[in-house]
Amino acid sequence: MGIKVVCASVIGKSNNPLYIRCFDNTEEPLKFHYIVHSALDVVEEKSTAKKGASLDLYLGMLYPTEDYRVYGYTTNSKIKFIIVVQEDGDSHDQAIKNFFRKFHVLYANTVANPFYTPDDLITSRKFNEELEKQVKTV
Amino acid sequence: CGAVVMAQKGARPYDRIGEQVFAKVDKINAELFTLTYGSIVTQLVKDYEDLGEVNTQLEKMGYNIGVRLIEEFLARSNVGRCADFTETAEVVAKVGFKMFLGITANVTDWDAEKKEFSLVLDDNPLTEFVELPESYNKLWYANILCGVIRGALEMVQMKVEATYVKCVLHGHDVSEIRVLLKEILTDEIPASMRDE
Repeated sequence: MGIKVVCASVIGKSNNPLYIRCFDNTEEPLKFHYIVHSALDVVEEKSTAKKGASLDLYLGMLYPTEDYRVYGYTTNSKIKFIIVVQEDGDSHDQAIKNFFRKFHVLYANTVANPFYTPDDLITSRKFNEELEKQVKTV
Repeated sequence: CGAVVMAQKGARPYDRIGEQVFAKVDKINAELFTLTYGSIVTQLVKDYEDLGEVNTQLEKMGYNIGVRLIEEFLARSNVGRCADFTETAEVVAKVGFKMFLGITANVTDWDAEKKEFSLVLDDNPLTEFVELPESYNKLWYANILCGVIRGALEMVQMKVEATYVKCVLHGHDVSEIRVLLKEILTDEIPASMRDE
């Protein structure tokens, strides 16, 4: 029927987690932390792989697990967005790309807050609420 | 423009004047403006640490801006003399705020003697994207506006006190500045200055 985002995370420049939010109550959050962490290796790989050719911000599927697929998106400021989705059937690349774009805009708005220092943990209530809304309408 | 306004006094002419002036002035990028103001506030917070002091400094800065801004306002808006304080309030809310911030404020809650009113702002470019941390309850983030109002009105012979009573960053649904007329300065009216 569609895709369900079960986990969304923002990773900082030194691969430090800035924000990890799990939307699936049945699973251990730690499992998602682990999945996201292992996905970072794939991100590194993809970022350094193509030399010369300009890289798209959207990295595509990073790797599949039993029930989930992990997608990544990187920015020129080395901030990475990694999401874990539950997909049935075909991949909905376009929908995921759209989600990442909105996620990126949401992140940029949060960084615009003068009281937020980049590379801090993201504790903004607005960010949480907006993200929830976006996850629901993927 | 002035003549047309007089003929339609009852039809809220200041809204239209505000729009006209706003169309004529130069514009800058809103995000740049918001971020600049944000960095001023955070720097003040770092320097002064006491939030009450930050409020005072913001108000002082606003005052210095206001005494200069009024000249620009008078030159560009061509608004004539205000008959009374109620008219002044309308001009500030509809023309002043529109010209410099691109928003219109609403004038509400007059007291019995017409010496005090509230300026209600639905949104404010200064506070776009801003979220106050928990311990910042005492901070009136956009307090610079209070100073601007005080400075500008002082240059047209009105001594006022402007204070924030509500702010969207504190969870209220609107921001509200209470403006109180303390006295009309009638003594020195320099011949070179136009009155309001």
